[in-house]
Amino acid sequence: MIQKMAGHINNPLRKRNVIIPRYIAYGIILVIILGMSAHLIVFGTDWKRMSSINEVFETLFSFFPNLKFIPEIAGPLFETTLMAFWGTLLAVILSIPISYLAATTTTPSMLITFPLGRAFIVLSRSTHEIIFALIFVVALGLGPLPGILALACRSVGFMSKTTAEAIEACNQGAIEAIKSTGARKLVQFFFAVVPQVFPIFLGNAIFQFDINIRRAAILGMVGAGGIGLHFSEQMKAYNYDNAGACVFAVVILVILGEVISNRIRTKLIAG
Amino acid sequence: MVLLKISNLKKSFQGNEIALRDVSLTIENQEVIALLGLSGSGKSTLLRCINRLTEPDSGSIKLENLEITNLNKRELRKVRAKMGMIFQEFNLVNRLTVLENVLSGTLGVTSLWRAVTRAFPPNDIFRALELCERVGISSQVEKRADQLSGGQRQRVGIARALMQNPTLLLVDEPTSSLDPKIGREVMTLMCEVARERDIPLLFSVHDISLAKDFSQRIIGLKEGEKIFDKKTSSLDDKSLEQIYKIESGNSLLTSESVN
Repeated sequence: MIQKMAGHINNPLRKRNVIIPRYIAYGIILVIILGMSAHLIVFGTDWKRMSSINEVFETLFSFFPNLKFIPEIAGPLFETTLMAFWGTLLAVILSIPISYLAATTTTPSMLITFPLGRAFIVLSRSTHEIIFALIFVVALGLGPLPGILALACRSVGFMSKTTAEAIEACNQGAIEAIKSTGARKLVQFFFAVVPQVFPIFLGNAIFQFDINIRRAAILGMVGAGGIGLHFSEQMKAYNYDNAGACVFAVVILVILGEVISNRIRTKLIAG
Repeated sequence: MVLLKISNLKKSFQGNEIALRDVSLTIENQEVIALLGLSGSGKSTLLRCINRLTEPDSGSIKLENLEITNLNKRELRKVRAKMGMIFQEFNLVNRLTVLENVLSGTLGVTSLWRAVTRAFPPNDIFRALELCERVGISSQVEKRADQLSGGQRQRVGIARALMQNPTLLLVDEPTSSLDPKIGREVMTLMCEVARERDIPLLFSVHDISLAKDFSQRIIGLKEGEKIFDKKTSSLDDKSLEQIYKIESGNSLLTSESVN
């Protein structure tokens, strides 16, 4: 209903009785957040143990990368990259059957296989890679293999979720046309669904590889291989400049990974 | 011999919307049959029940004396392979080439391995290329389907259906996504290839002039009921008005707007 009031129209998108309570609510939420943050930061920090501002900066600068240390960690860096590669590949392979189960349009049974597929996804996505790594280190011992498995478990959820969504967003008409030729379900899937999903799938796999380089870099801290082990060793030995070199090397590796994966992804989308 | 015999076919969708009420019809020999009716009159549902893309509630469908409605999955796939279907939105796999799309007509009888590796039998590839030539897309076979124009895509759809070596062609609104000129070309081609192969063609259509010009027989549906089934030549204004009359009676289409 349009209400005309003395020369102007009440804006129906900004009704007074709606907007005033809304801004009051925003205000209350802001005060609560600020109060909690003050409690956390102002009262939660040990100000007495913190030294003078100069000393703080001095400590921070002691992390300045010691570039001479980098040749020593070239091997672990390469190991980190390889861990990311195999972890991603494993996740990519596992995500094919899981996404088939977790997509409403392809799952054989909404009662059994669909919840199963979704359960894998939720489990994978809600658990941190460090937790997976800890579990696999306990089960398999130290080394890159538990790291690879941890990365695979962590990425398979994202890969399966995005792939299942891509499957659901497919042109259903094309699938139906293939169905009408008498093709069975798996043939329909590989001939009508896979070609539609493949570019998205490949793009996401490369994206995951990029992220997994980052994840792989810290797994060594819990004994699951790669550069992380050297970082924590140098930290424990108070060799902050060497620890800084580890961080610096990982940053370079991640940037390289991102540049390369972006290039490949742009090409894929264009082609 | 009776090719297709439908008796007392019923279908209603969730929410009690009745799509088909007791539809019976018989197709005996080569002829082009137009399914006429308003949107929602059950044309598409009828076509899709014949190859069970939509499951009918009750009634019987017999193709060459084989009851279709109670087949198991494997048998149903065999029967589907015998019926070629052509769609309003073409329904091609856009990222695949024209040749792959045409060859997909054989997927009902091709193994998964051959389908995935594209190791189609040479004879099928030869036949696919022949069909591409017949429908006039032989210069496009290596292009991706989404690079073609609408008319060309529907030609691919026709070739895919023919690739099945069908005994019957089911065609759902083949011209609705095309401009009138291209639509007529596509209709002409479809009727020609159906006659060459001596197979009946059942097509649903909005456009009455297309139905009149291309069919030998017209089946009129109204609210899921078959109310007309005669030779095209005996379709007069009165029966047209019946097919297109709205049930409440207050919004009659004039014969002018119908034509």
